[in-house]
Amino acid sequence: MTVVSGPTPAEWKQWEEQGYLVFEDAIRGEMLDRLQQAFDHWAAACKEAWLDGVARGELAATYYDIPNVLEKDEIFIDILDKPRYFEYIKAFTEDDAIHIGEQVRTAPLWPMGYTGWHPDVPPDHPLHIKVQVYVNDVERGGGEFAYVPGSHLPGAGPYPRVKNLEAMPGHKRFPGRAGTAIMFNTYGWHVAMENHTGIPRKSIILTYEKRTPGKIDPGRYAHIAPSLNTPDRRRLFGMS
Amino acid sequence: MPRIDAHGHVFARVSSEFPREAGGITPPEREETVEKLMTYMAASRIDQAMLVQIGGTTVAEHAYLLRCLSAYPDRFLGIGLIPETDYGAPQDHMDRLSDGTGIVGFRLGTVGGPPDPFEPVDVRKFTTYPIWRHAAEKDLVLWLYVRAADAHLIAYMVDAFPQVRVVINHLGICPGQGKGRHDQWGRPQIDIVPYNPAFHTTHRLSTYENVAMHLSGHYAFSKEPYPYPDLAGWNRNLLRTFGADRLMWATDFPWIYEEPGYDKLARLIEETVPDIAPHELEEIMGGTAKRFLRFPDLR
Repeated sequence: MTVVSGPTPAEWKQWEEQGYLVFEDAIRGEMLDRLQQAFDHWAAACKEAWLDGVARGELAATYYDIPNVLEKDEIFIDILDKPRYFEYIKAFTEDDAIHIGEQVRTAPLWPMGYTGWHPDVPPDHPLHIKVQVYVNDVERGGGEFAYVPGSHLPGAGPYPRVKNLEAMPGHKRFPGRAGTAIMFNTYGWHVAMENHTGIPRKSIILTYEKRTPGKIDPGRYAHIAPSLNTPDRRRLFGMS
Repeated sequence: MPRIDAHGHVFARVSSEFPREAGGITPPEREETVEKLMTYMAASRIDQAMLVQIGGTTVAEHAYLLRCLSAYPDRFLGIGLIPETDYGAPQDHMDRLSDGTGIVGFRLGTVGGPPDPFEPVDVRKFTTYPIWRHAAEKDLVLWLYVRAADAHLIAYMVDAFPQVRVVINHLGICPGQGKGRHDQWGRPQIDIVPYNPAFHTTHRLSTYENVAMHLSGHYAFSKEPYPYPDLAGWNRNLLRTFGADRLMWATDFPWIYEEPGYDKLARLIEETVPDIAPHELEEIMGGTAKRFLRFPDLR
């Protein structure tokens, strides 16, 4: 049986000073198998609709997100609150996190990265945390996540708008095996590096935030209410 | 520093001297002459402009464009079109139109690679590959306003041909299938989504030094009247990513003569980026076009 626990003092320190934590094997075994199978099944099932969206000018061809996954397979709900990183989300948000969204994403090969270095939200935004879970093995130079440690801190920067992603000063790259999760404070600068491996990167980006009253419309997730069957889930989805 | 309008169209009424295709906003009797354009330019202190072919791809249909370039060689340069039937062997067509005429490049609406981004890519199999190769050999510019399905394919060609100067038209937006129409002023209107795929395709091309971008076409994409505040952020972001030395202002004349008016568009960048540095404004309003497109010195 896995003992679930929150951050150690050293992890607290790293989170506060560096803005990220890495969880190897955060998802493994049968759960990882279920996740990979569901990912591949729904990626194939939804691909034509994505290509239609690309042709209509509504979706980018440089990344492919499976839409509405929470209603497609329970595994996409399970990974929100079951793996060990969720105890850290609870700790960092003082047990008051809400679910903002999930991107179940494949990044096809392309001559460059599909985005540049960026933070997601300004530091006056409520604490905003992402967890990037690799669904396949992602090696260095394979579109791996990268972060500038400490860039989430007040007064950090300014950071240059580098054209060559590798030119960002002080950045750290995060290759990892399938099931690895990287948690980061999105005030900090981050990016997906270029992929020169020949293997598209598959990952899931889970977004959480410190609760702000009224941020979630309780009716928004009514259609998956039967799956929101624990106190943690109901809180995450604004139902209690 | 000259002030240069980096994209627009002129055309004559249909005649044996100036044959052209006629369409919805270019009926046979309509003319939008270069002399009319010059009066607008003069009123807004615009010195030079890029004339982009409209009304057909054949050499004969370029007659009016060639006449304008010949009559005012220090004021205008031109961008031609290529018949799709010539894509496999475009050299003769490109040479006939560009040899000493003032036509410095060609506009493309497709790239012609695999539409599925997960398919293997071999640029030599792209339908426009011979055009890119010839542009590289002849130092011609490629002028891109490609359909949305091809937006991600541009990067492969830009990467393969770093010596080809590329101008991405109209804020990098690539029109989606079924998204085009005309408004009550006869202007093209393109429905776009606010979180636009361009952010992750054409805007990423800022990485390549051989790519420049137009700040133009706002009137066609905005859901608000001039100065198009919903797109002001695009101007700022493109200034941050491309830099002023790879951005070019343009009006897309003649569609804008009536609404919002040429003079207003000549002030668009100052209106939407009021804190822009003077040297950056100079670059966007002409310096970049002068250097990147090699506009001649004014007499």
